[in-house]
Amino acid sequence: MQHTATISRMKAAGAPPRLSGFAQWADRHFKWLLVAPAVLLILALSVYPLLFSLVVSFINYDFQVPGHAFVGLKNFERVVFDPVARWSLLLTAWLSGISVAIEFVLGLLVALTMVRNFPGRGVIMSILIVPLFISPVIVGQAWTLLLQRPFGPTNYILTQLLGQEVTIGWMTESPWLYASLIIADVWQWTPFMFVILLAGLTAVPPNLYEAAELDGVNAWQAFWAITLPHLAPMMLLALTFRLLDAIRMFDTIFIMTGGGPGTRTYTASYYLYTVGFTQFHLSQATAGSWLFLIFTALVVMLLVRRLLKTEPV
Amino acid sequence: MAAVAPVRRPKRRSIPVGRIMLLGFFLVFVLWPLYWMFNTSIKPSDDYLTVPPVWFPTAPTLVHYEAALFAYRGLDGLINSLIISLSATVLSALFGTLMAYSLARYNTGGQHLSFWVLSQRFLPPIGIVLPVFLIYRGVGLYDTHIGLIIAYTVFTLPVSVWMMFAYFRGMPKSMEEAALVDGCTRWEAFWRVAVPLAAPGIVAAAVFAFIACWTEFFFALILTSRTAFTLPTVFRAFIGFQGAQYGEAAALAIVSLVPSIALGVLAQRHLVRGLTLGAVRG
Repeated sequence: MQHTATISRMKAAGAPPRLSGFAQWADRHFKWLLVAPAVLLILALSVYPLLFSLVVSFINYDFQVPGHAFVGLKNFERVVFDPVARWSLLLTAWLSGISVAIEFVLGLLVALTMVRNFPGRGVIMSILIVPLFISPVIVGQAWTLLLQRPFGPTNYILTQLLGQEVTIGWMTESPWLYASLIIADVWQWTPFMFVILLAGLTAVPPNLYEAAELDGVNAWQAFWAITLPHLAPMMLLALTFRLLDAIRMFDTIFIMTGGGPGTRTYTASYYLYTVGFTQFHLSQATAGSWLFLIFTALVVMLLVRRLLKTEPV
Repeated sequence: MAAVAPVRRPKRRSIPVGRIMLLGFFLVFVLWPLYWMFNTSIKPSDDYLTVPPVWFPTAPTLVHYEAALFAYRGLDGLINSLIISLSATVLSALFGTLMAYSLARYNTGGQHLSFWVLSQRFLPPIGIVLPVFLIYRGVGLYDTHIGLIIAYTVFTLPVSVWMMFAYFRGMPKSMEEAALVDGCTRWEAFWRVAVPLAAPGIVAAAVFAFIACWTEFFFALILTSRTAFTLPTVFRAFIGFQGAQYGEAAALAIVSLVPSIALGVLAQRHLVRGLTLGAVRG
């Protein structure tokens, strides 16, 4: 108390405060001390594990085979020559591509309806963003409740609408289970596209539209000539962020199909999870996850590079 | 293209039917699964398999909530989720703010450091979680609250750092500079001047960190088991069920989505910044 009182009196007198040795040192290295906790945590729990896993992917680390002998590229070979691995990578690309495309189009359409103010817009806005705050596990659960036979009401509703008996096994029959997974993803993440694209749309200067209207340009032409170019950086940002999350797809699959039937709905993450944690081939799984990491890095380089060049807002 | 010059139309006042239909359809699409889940959670088990389905339960019941919370240990999961999410949120917001301030005001480490942090956001969790699992087993952090708190702190740090980075860059420096001229240490200029001014941004970053932890499943699935399990992992008990536990699953879902939705809707002003890591101002 005495000490701080002295300091504030000295401050009032315009004198620089006298600091202890430690405080002086801390003040000199202030900027590094501030970053230290976050950097150390990331080093300990992200960089170190990654390096560790690089080691693991070249040795034998398997709960079924004792010892940690160096095995060279054997773990990578096992993954590369596993047809299930290739299938899961392909499925990841397809599912994430289709989901993100639907989310983008739907999100853009909904954003276009919400640009101008109208009564009730605030409430509708609050409802539309709700899926973003729900655990993907619960989203999977919610769609399971709707789709699963015989409990789910979806087939009943379709039967009534179409006027003929509909008995689709939404979680078990081949193209429908992909549709189910995509619907769940679209339900959860269309708001993501919508929110970002709406922010982009409201940032387009309105006088451009007024000028266009004076020139007699129709709405469709205005969209192509004004909205689209202005929105492009934001679209790229939304697509990049969304795609990088979509390729991790795991939670909804875990809840809705469990990867099944057989291995039909294995995504890359789900495949690596089963290899590592149900078959306990840990070194094979780490090797696979490094390959997946490299694929992701390629996508990041392609997309984020371009993103940084355009520099939105 | 028509040769005739288009007639300049008067400002339209007509009702935009297409827009209303699209928006209405989308609203129903968003609300329908939520309604059906709520409906299922209060429906007596006898009403599960009726044809036509019971759209409005006439005899609502809370038995499923009771079973989900106690018989399926949902309450334990809820308490674990609260402890772990809150702790990780506080740590993430604190360390994130510290780092973001240094990056924004002192340009620490140049672009390299900030983009290194950002790159962490895009790492697939499967690549991290396998070695972390092995390390945690070795050092005794597997299935502990502390272990998951540390993991969640690191997993939310990139977002906290980047949200606060953007916030500090958008804040004028003049107040802190005045404080430094007046003889404050750098720490005092940060803690007594910048942090109170940045409080709304810190709260927003904390809210998004909390929601991320609260809804996270993958790390919790792999790094916990019987002790530190979180709410989303309790849903494993309902996988592959044959009709008996629909109500319990729905009830647990309703319980667990209330806090994160409430927080998210309250913080929606900051949503755009949260989703784009501060790249876009909402």
